[in-house]
Amino acid sequence: MEDNAYQDNVHTAGAAPVGTAPTAMTTGSGNGSPAAHAVDLCKTYGTGQAAVHALDGINVVFEQSRFTAVMGPSGSGKSTLMHCMAGLDNPTSGRSFIGGIEVGDLNDAGLTRLRRDRVGFIFQAFNLVPTLTAAENITLPLDLAGKKADKGWFDHLVGRLGIADRLAGKPSELSGGQQQRVACARALISRPELVFADEPTGNLDSMAAGEILSFLRMSVDELGQSIVMVTHDPRGAAYSDRVVFLGDGKVVGEMEQPTADSVLERIRTLAG
Amino acid sequence: MWRITLKSLLAHKLRLALTAIAIVLGVTFVSGTYILTDTIHNTFTSLFSTVYQGFNFQVRGVAQFSNAGTAVRNPIPESILPEIQKVPGVEDAAGSVVGYAQFVSHGGKAIANNGAPTIGASLHSKTLSYLHIVEGRAPTTSHGVVMDAGTAKKYHFKVGQQVRVLLLGPPRTFTITGIARFGDTANLAGATMAAFDTPTAQKVLGEVGKFNAIYVKTAPGASNAAVQRDIARILPRGVDVVTRQVVVNEAISSINQPLSFLSTTLLIFAFIALFVGAFTILNTFSVVVGQRTRELALLRIVGASRRQVFRSVLGEAAILGLVSSLVGLGLGVLTAMGIEALLRGFGISMPSGSPVLAARTIIVALVLGVGVTILAAVSPARRAVRIPPVAAISDSHVADVSLRRRFTWGTSIAIAGVAVLGIGLSNHTIQLVGLGALGVFIGVAMLLPAVASPLSSAIGRPLARTLGTAGRLGRANSMRSPRRTAQTASALMIGLAVVSAFAVIGASISKSVTSVADNAVNADLIVYDKVSSPMSPGFSTTVPKVVAALPGVTMTDTIYGNTPMSGQFKFRHSLGTLTAVSARHLAGTVRLHMTAGDSRALASGAMLIDATVAKSNHLSVGDTVPVRFALTGRSTVRIGGVYKLNPIVGSYLVSDSYYLSHFQNPLPSAVLLRTSGGSSVEGEVQQALAPYPNVQVQNRAQLEHSQLAQIDKLLGLVYALLGLAVIIALIGIVNTLVLSVFERTREIGLLRAVGMKRRQVRMMIRAESVILSIFGAVVGIIIGTGLGVALASSLGSAGITAISVPVSSMVVFLILSAVLGLLAATWPARRAAKLDVLAAIAEE
Ligand SMILES: Nc1ncnc2c1ncn2[C@@H]1O[C@H](COP(=O)(O)OP(=O)(O)OP(=O)(O)O)[C@@H](O)[C@H]1O
Ligand SMILES: [Mg+2]
Repeated sequence: MEDNAYQDNVHTAGAAPVGTAPTAMTTGSGNGSPAAHAVDLCKTYGTGQAAVHALDGINVVFEQSRFTAVMGPSGSGKSTLMHCMAGLDNPTSGRSFIGGIEVGDLNDAGLTRLRRDRVGFIFQAFNLVPTLTAAENITLPLDLAGKKADKGWFDHLVGRLGIADRLAGKPSELSGGQQQRVACARALISRPELVFADEPTGNLDSMAAGEILSFLRMSVDELGQSIVMVTHDPRGAAYSDRVVFLGDGKVVGEMEQPTADSVLERIRTLAG
Repeated sequence: MWRITLKSLLAHKLRLALTAIAIVLGVTFVSGTYILTDTIHNTFTSLFSTVYQGFNFQVRGVAQFSNAGTAVRNPIPESILPEIQKVPGVEDAAGSVVGYAQFVSHGGKAIANNGAPTIGASLHSKTLSYLHIVEGRAPTTSHGVVMDAGTAKKYHFKVGQQVRVLLLGPPRTFTITGIARFGDTANLAGATMAAFDTPTAQKVLGEVGKFNAIYVKTAPGASNAAVQRDIARILPRGVDVVTRQVVVNEAISSINQPLSFLSTTLLIFAFIALFVGAFTILNTFSVVVGQRTRELALLRIVGASRRQVFRSVLGEAAILGLVSSLVGLGLGVLTAMGIEALLRGFGISMPSGSPVLAARTIIVALVLGVGVTILAAVSPARRAVRIPPVAAISDSHVADVSLRRRFTWGTSIAIAGVAVLGIGLSNHTIQLVGLGALGVFIGVAMLLPAVASPLSSAIGRPLARTLGTAGRLGRANSMRSPRRTAQTASALMIGLAVVSAFAVIGASISKSVTSVADNAVNADLIVYDKVSSPMSPGFSTTVPKVVAALPGVTMTDTIYGNTPMSGQFKFRHSLGTLTAVSARHLAGTVRLHMTAGDSRALASGAMLIDATVAKSNHLSVGDTVPVRFALTGRSTVRIGGVYKLNPIVGSYLVSDSYYLSHFQNPLPSAVLLRTSGGSSVEGEVQQALAPYPNVQVQNRAQLEHSQLAQIDKLLGLVYALLGLAVIIALIGIVNTLVLSVFERTREIGLLRAVGMKRRQVRMMIRAESVILSIFGAVVGIIIGTGLGVALASSLGSAGITAISVPVSSMVVFLILSAVLGLLAATWPARRAAKLDVLAAIAEE
């Protein structure tokens, strides 16, 4: 099964050292290549005096079947990194890859297909189309591709997320936590290679946040899903396999197998 | 993706309904026009088949100038009748006389129903007649008349009563011997009918010894083709025999022309309404796309392609267009039925008038409705496509087409429009004029955002000063998005531009008429045919004699021709209407401004023509021109002079002696009088002419006034027809305001939270609406005035000799627009004021 294949790779994939340009892995999406990586990625907003270097030469690798957290102070470029790597925004210079595909090479149709078939997104807010029901929101990427939802997969996701009885509701009739769980289901419905989540728990209380994070953790452990999650919360980061720290548009550090305390500790050091 | 389209439509029922109204109204107008004219056409078709029944052939004089039902035909000698009756296979044949006869009511008024014909006819053989006497009997003496049931009922006439009838000769009084129906209807779409016995009919309607037609019925078993051939063989030159079907078809085609004129006119206004509607739709869709930016961007993020987004917006438009068109079609049927009921109310009885919904009507309505909606949605859809996926998460704005590009396009389209307009005006091609105006409107609408902010700011300044914070905010809101302000105002701009253009044309016509009345006649009094009936050939020849005998009248000039029923002749290759005056009195009664030659040439049998005819035919004084008359055939005439357009004498002018020698017993159409002055003379003339109710006496001021009143009436009708376009534009404003109230829910909540009163909220929305309306009105009036002046000055040959811009009307339009803007804001303002403060702020 595909799921098993992901599982097998958990331990071999995470070996590439952060900060080194992984030139050997830029082609093919075979088992050895990372889920996504960036090479000398720069993003500058504005020009001259007012120029803001949101990304300032970032080299980073997000391994397959691992849960990577991205942390950093506000304005450090976390969202910008995610946008550029997912092809939502164009970097000023540098390259980024999803699997072995160079994002910068894709035209609009290619980017559309990339988003639809290979990448899932979860955001802090405004995740759902307000006019569609929860169920319709979940299957939206498949509907757009003209594909049928895999009933078993759909039921599995919905069951795991505990939203089976809320499927007919409109987003406005769901709680924030429920909305976010629907967003999780949507992000996973097309079995993407990689899920980007930008502060998915930012608007939730700790209880609801815990449920979302457990689900994400579970999808990595059981299904071999690759996830990149931006977060401010050390406790959230503790769910991940590895934390990448950003500061002023640069990678300023990383940590394997983080705990809430170790992350907090590192943040303090970085700030000080 | 279709599901999203549908859901999005259903989620905004209100927006949907408001947008739909624009299309529904336009389509109602279009389909109503078609249904009405089709129904009238159908009604007449069945009417003519009812009326023209019971005979197989009609024998009649050949058409003189054309083959249409209105062609001039000479009467045929009655001696043909016995010959035809002898033809084997003929079962029955009867001669028929038709002419002008108009009843006079008990109150002394000439009876005519809204310009429907007043027919006089002979009663002949029962089997061949379409008249069924339902009361009384046919007249046996020359003093009896049969009246149609419609007239009898409406004007309370009964068998045995006396009735005065206006005729070619002096009016006469008859005794009503019977009441008749046409087939199974009481009257013929408003026409009145006086029927006499055949000898009397010949005497009072036509010529003794002549028929207008002979109707022939073939015996059962006879070969129709053979009978027709045998009849044709015995007919003299200039007389022919046609089948019943030909007669019916001619009658039908004779109503097609006025009907197609009616439908074209109505359709033009319908298209204006639809065009304005398109702008409303365009505006709504752009606002909606703007509001759905996040949602559309989210769709893009989860994998919707540009094409899917584009199709989703257009799909929404297509569904909206389809539904609205269907509703419009239904309303069109109702409207047509309503108008028909109205006609019935006017006493015009029509047989079997169920509305006719032709396939053409359905196709045109759907294609137009859906097409216009989709076209209007293209630009918003393209904007939707440009929404970057990041817009879902960050507040980045949609990159607009650069304003410069928009303005380049706008300018080019406007200039192209002006050019096409110019060509259309100089060639008198109405289609090009329309196309050019369209281009100007679209071009200006594209340029409008450039001036939206400064103009709204200027218009809003007094409001901001008088209304305080609410006024200031309203003004700021109207300046906030120049593009939206411009788009909302565009629809009203177009509506008012068309209204203003017509106002200029109307005012120019009025001014021209005034100067004509001053410049065309010297006469103190004008006696003329009221032309209450299109059958009216003029009035009795005794009228000029009666007035000439009055002591206060110093000079009379009898005018012949120049009406729809008289003076028809062929001038070179085209049909013309001839006018005759007495050459001796011309100078005293008519003011002719000669540009070449001398008006005295009339006395020597020459013709005077107006400058337009001279120019288009390349004629000058001394040229000889071929002419043809129904009575006398081909001839030539010398051009004795050229004059400036003069409505009193038309385009072709000859002396009365020339006219009398080419027309059979012509009747005067007007008498121009010079008097010894004073209103006492006028009173005397009125009194002397009391027995002639179809004659009207007016002094110069009254003539001018009645002509102006006619123009005002017409202009009023035009305004009413344009009203729909203006209403659609206002609905557009309501729509935009509702949408922006919705969009600004949080902002309004915040304002309320910091202490703005509900009243102030309402005031703020109203201020914005008034600014929008005035903005659209100002630009529209400016453009419309330009357009009107251009149109009016190109219509010089059609009688518009003076240009006038009715400033007071323009001011009224402006004030009216502001008031309507205030009204349009009522509901959106109430919605805004009702917003719950907490909910508004909590809203995400
Ligand atoms: N559209 C934009 N135009 C100009 N500057 C921008 C834009 N988007 C982001 N920036 C700037 O780029 C920098 C990085 O922004 P980014 O949103 O990536 O930060 P972040 O790490 O996600 O912060 P937060 O934790 O607050 O979400 C910031 O200084 C921000 O001001
Ligand atoms: Mg961020």
